[in-house]
Amino acid sequence: MDSGLKIAGMTGRRFAQFIHYNKRRRVCIMMKRKTLLMAIFSALLLYPVISWAGTEKYINAGIFALIVEIGMGLSIIFLAWFVKNKLKIHIPKLMQAPIIWGFAFIVFRVILQPPIPFTLLAVYMGIITIAIFLYSSIDEPSWKEFSTPIRIMLQEDTKNAKTSRYIVFAALPLLIGYGTYDKMLPKFEEPVELRTVHPAPPASINLHGKIINLQTEYNPFRGKGADGKEEAGAQYMGKNPFAADAPKYLQNVREGGEIFFGTAGCVFCHGDNLDGRGMFAFAFNPIPANFSDPGTIAQLQETFVLWRVSKGGPGVPRETFPWASAMPPWEKHITQDEMWKVIMFEYWHTGFYPRTWD
Amino acid sequence: MRSLMRWLQSPKRKRVGAFLALSLFAVALLLPLVPVFAVAEDTPAASSDTPKIEKAKDVFYKTEGIVYGPPAPKLKYPDNYGTYGTFQSRTILWMANQQHLYFGSFVLAVPMFVMVVELVGMLQKDKRMSKKYDDLAHEFMKISLTAYSITAILGGLLIFTFLALYPGFFMYLASIFRPVMHVYALMFILESGVLYVYYYGWDKMNDSPFLKWCHLSLSVLLNTVGLVLMFFANTWLAFMQAPAGVDDQGRFLGNIWNAIHTPLVIPIVVHRILGNAAFGGGVVAAYAAYRFLAAKSPEEKAHYDWMSYTAMFMGVLNLIPLPFAGYWLMREVYAYRQQMGITLMGGLLAWVFIMQATMIATLFITLNYYLWTAMGRMPGSERYTRFFKYMLLVLIVATLTWLTPHTLVMTPAELKAMGGAQHPVIGNYGVMSAKNTAINIIITTTVLCFCIYQRANKVPTVKWAWWGNLALGAIFVGAATNVIFLGIYGYFIPANVRIGLSVPQVCSTLTTLFIGVTLNTMILKNARSLGEIRWGQMSTRGAYALFLLAVAFTWTMAVMGYIRSSVRLHWHINEIMRDASPWAFTNPIGYAGNINSLNVLIFWTMLLFVFWLGTLTDKKVHSTVKDTAGEGIEGVSIPVGSH
Repeated sequence: MDSGLKIAGMTGRRFAQFIHYNKRRRVCIMMKRKTLLMAIFSALLLYPVISWAGTEKYINAGIFALIVEIGMGLSIIFLAWFVKNKLKIHIPKLMQAPIIWGFAFIVFRVILQPPIPFTLLAVYMGIITIAIFLYSSIDEPSWKEFSTPIRIMLQEDTKNAKTSRYIVFAALPLLIGYGTYDKMLPKFEEPVELRTVHPAPPASINLHGKIINLQTEYNPFRGKGADGKEEAGAQYMGKNPFAADAPKYLQNVREGGEIFFGTAGCVFCHGDNLDGRGMFAFAFNPIPANFSDPGTIAQLQETFVLWRVSKGGPGVPRETFPWASAMPPWEKHITQDEMWKVIMFEYWHTGFYPRTWD
Repeated sequence: MRSLMRWLQSPKRKRVGAFLALSLFAVALLLPLVPVFAVAEDTPAASSDTPKIEKAKDVFYKTEGIVYGPPAPKLKYPDNYGTYGTFQSRTILWMANQQHLYFGSFVLAVPMFVMVVELVGMLQKDKRMSKKYDDLAHEFMKISLTAYSITAILGGLLIFTFLALYPGFFMYLASIFRPVMHVYALMFILESGVLYVYYYGWDKMNDSPFLKWCHLSLSVLLNTVGLVLMFFANTWLAFMQAPAGVDDQGRFLGNIWNAIHTPLVIPIVVHRILGNAAFGGGVVAAYAAYRFLAAKSPEEKAHYDWMSYTAMFMGVLNLIPLPFAGYWLMREVYAYRQQMGITLMGGLLAWVFIMQATMIATLFITLNYYLWTAMGRMPGSERYTRFFKYMLLVLIVATLTWLTPHTLVMTPAELKAMGGAQHPVIGNYGVMSAKNTAINIIITTTVLCFCIYQRANKVPTVKWAWWGNLALGAIFVGAATNVIFLGIYGYFIPANVRIGLSVPQVCSTLTTLFIGVTLNTMILKNARSLGEIRWGQMSTRGAYALFLLAVAFTWTMAVMGYIRSSVRLHWHINEIMRDASPWAFTNPIGYAGNINSLNVLIFWTMLLFVFWLGTLTDKKVHSTVKDTAGEGIEGVSIPVGSH
C-alpha cells in the first residue's frame, strides 16, 4: 500500500513538475515574444521624436537616415505580424504584392522628403518589384500560392476565371496604349541632366604663373603634425579663432573666415552656414554647393577645392560637361594664400576634414 | 625503361615521378622567355655601337634609360586609321575585342575547375564517386574545347581588325612588345598541344594511377600556360592605361620588364583571374541548367542538377573575393592618377559604375535566390524557410543603399525642388561609407545563406553543437554589427582614416566566410541526415536563376571592360599617344549600354550554339547518377564544399 502511495506520489509530483515546467516554458516563450514586440512597438513610438530631432538637425543626418530606414523596416515587420497573428487576417500572396508595392511607393514618393528625382524613384521601385517577385517565389508553397490564381485566371473555364481574364486582357492593351499616349504627348519639361558633381580635375593647374601639381601640392597654412603628415586640425574644431591666444592654425582660419564673409563675399551664395543657401543662392540653377553635406568638400582633397575656387565655372574641362556653375574664377580677384585660408575655414566651419593621401 | 616502369610501381613513387615530369615541363615552359630577357640585357651593348647614345627618363619609374625606339607617332585621321563605310571603327574593334575576351576567359577559366574537379575525383575513396567527378571534369572540358576553336577564330578576327582599322596604334604597340608577342604566339601553340593531349588522352590515361597523375599534371601545365597567356595579354592593356618603360615621348627605353611591370598590371591580372574563374563557373552552370531544363529522364535531370550546383559553387568561390580585388585595383588607380580615379568613381563614368553596382547586386541576390529555391530539394530545409524573407529584406535594403548614386540624374525642376545637388537623406547613401557597408552586408548575408544550405538536411550530433551554434551566431552578429558600426563611424572622421575602415569591414566579412564556414562544417561533422539531397528536383526557377547569374556575369564583364577602357578618354596610350580618330569621345551611357547588351546577346547566341553542339555528341549514360535521382536514395553524391 505504502509503495503504491509512493509510486502515486512520485507520479503526481513528476506530473506536477512536468506541468510546471511546461507552463514556465510557455510563459517564457510568450514573455520573450511580448518583450520583443513591446520593444519594437516602443521603438515605433520613439519614431516621431527621432524624426523631429532629425528634421531640426539635433542629430546627424546620417544617423537620422539610418534610423528612418531601420524604423521603416521594423514597422513593416510589425504591421505584417499584427495583421497575420493578431487580426488573424490571411492576405493572399497575390494581394500582398500590390500592397507591398504601394507601401514602398508611398515611402519613397511621399514620406521621403524633399522629393527624390523620378529616375531614382524608378530605380527604387524597380528593385522593389523584383524583390516582391523573389518574395512571392522564395519557396515552393509560396510560389504555388502566388501563381495559382494567375494560372486559374489564364486557363480555367469557370465564370469568375473567364470574367477576370476578359478584364485583364482588355485592361492590358489599354494600359499600354495609355503609356504610349503619355510618352508621345508633347511636354514642355526640361530634359533630365546627368550632372557631374565632381568633375575630374586636371593633373596640374597654372595659378598666377605658377604650376601647381594637384596630386602633390598641399595647403601651406595647415602645418605638419608630429608624424610629418599634413595636420588635419582635429584639435582646433570648435575652438574660438577670435581668442587672443589662438594658435597660428586658428588665426589662419579666422583670416579665411574674414575672406569668406568679407573680402571675397562667398557668403552671399554659399550662405553663413556654408550650406549653399546664401541670399543670392536661389537666383542660380542649380543652387551653390552645400559644404555642410558629407558628399561635397568632405570627399575631396584640398587641391581639388583649390582648383574649383581658382578656376570657377569657366575652368571645368570639356569632357565633364554638362556642368552648370556660376562660380567666378577667383584667381582673378584674390591671392593663392587667401584661397588656401578660405578653404581651411570651410573645412573648419563644417567640421569636415579634407581627403588626404595615405 | 622497363626498370624505370618497375621503379614507378609504388603509388608514392608515381606521384614523385609525376611531379618530376611536371617540373621538367615547367622548365621547358620558361625557355621561350629567354629571348625576352636576352633582348633586355643586350640593349646597352647594342646601343653602344651606335655613334650617339641618347638617354631619357622613364615616364613612370623615373629611372634613366637608353633610348631604344622611335617616339610614339602623332597619328592623323584618316591617314593612320581605317574605316568600313560609315561604321564607327571604335565600335567594331570594341565588339571584336569583347567577343574574343569572352571566349578567351571562358576557355582559360574552365581548365581551372577541371583541374580541381579531377583532383577531387582522384582523392575520393569511393570509386563510384571518383568516376562521377571524373566524368564531370571531362564534360566541362568538352564544352571548353568547342569554345577553344571559336576563341582562336575570334583572336584572328581581332588582329585583322586592329591592322585594318587602327594600324598606326597597333604598329607602335607591336614595336614595344615585339619579343613578348612572339612568346605569346608560341605559348598558344603549347597551350593547344597540351589541351589536345589532355582532352583526347583522357580515357587512355585513366587506365593506370600513374598515368592519371600524369594527366592531372598536364592539367596543371595547361593552367600555367593559360595564366601566362592571360598575363601577357593583360600587360598590353595595362600599358595602355598606365604606361611605363617608355619616356614621355613614348620612346622605348630598352627594358621590356618595365613595360610589362606597369603600375596597374598586378591588380588588373589578379582581378581578371578571379573574374574569369567566376565567369567560367557561371557559364558552365548555365550550360548545366540548360541541359537540366532540356533533360527528359530523372537520371539526366539529377546529373545536371548536381553539375550546375558544382559549377555555380566554384564560380561563387571566386566571385566573393572579386569586390575586394576590385577595391584594390581602384586604390591603385587613385594612387597612379587621382584624375583617373575621379573620372571613374565620381565623375564622367560614375553612372556606368552604378550599372556595374546593379549587376553585382543582381549577382548576389540571384545567388541567394538560387540557394533558397535549391533548398526545396533538401528534406529538413523547411526549418529554415521562414528566415529567407528576412534575409531578402536585408539584401534589398543593402541593395537600395548600394545603388543610390552620388550623382543624381534629374531635371532642373527636380534639382530645385530638392534644394541642391545632394539630397539631405539619401545623399548620405551616395558616399563610400554607405557603399562599403552595403556590399559587406550583402556578402555576409550570402555566406549566411550558404551556411544554412550546408545544414539544411542535417542535424548536428557533435557534443559541442550548442556552443558551436552560439559561436557561429556570434560571428555573424559580430561581423554585421562591426560592419554597420564602422560604416556609421566613417561619417565622423577624416577621409584618409575612413578609407582605412574598409579593411576591418572586409576582415569582418572574410571572418564569416572562412571561420564561419569552417566552424559550420565542423559542427556538421558526422551530422544526422534528415534525408539525402533529391538531385533533379530543383525547381525550374532555380535553373533560370543560374541562367540569369551567368548573363549577369557576362554583362558585368562588358560594362567593367568598357569602364576600364574608356577611362583613358582621348588617349590610345595614356598621356603618350593621343587618339586622333573622330571616335575619341566618351560614349553616351545609353549607347554604351546598347553595345554592351549587343555583345552579351552575340556571345550568348554563339554559346547556345556551343551548348547545342554539346548535346549532339553526348550519348553517354550517366550511370552513377542513377543512384542519386529520385527521393531518399542511399549513397548519394555530395558535391565539393556542400558538406
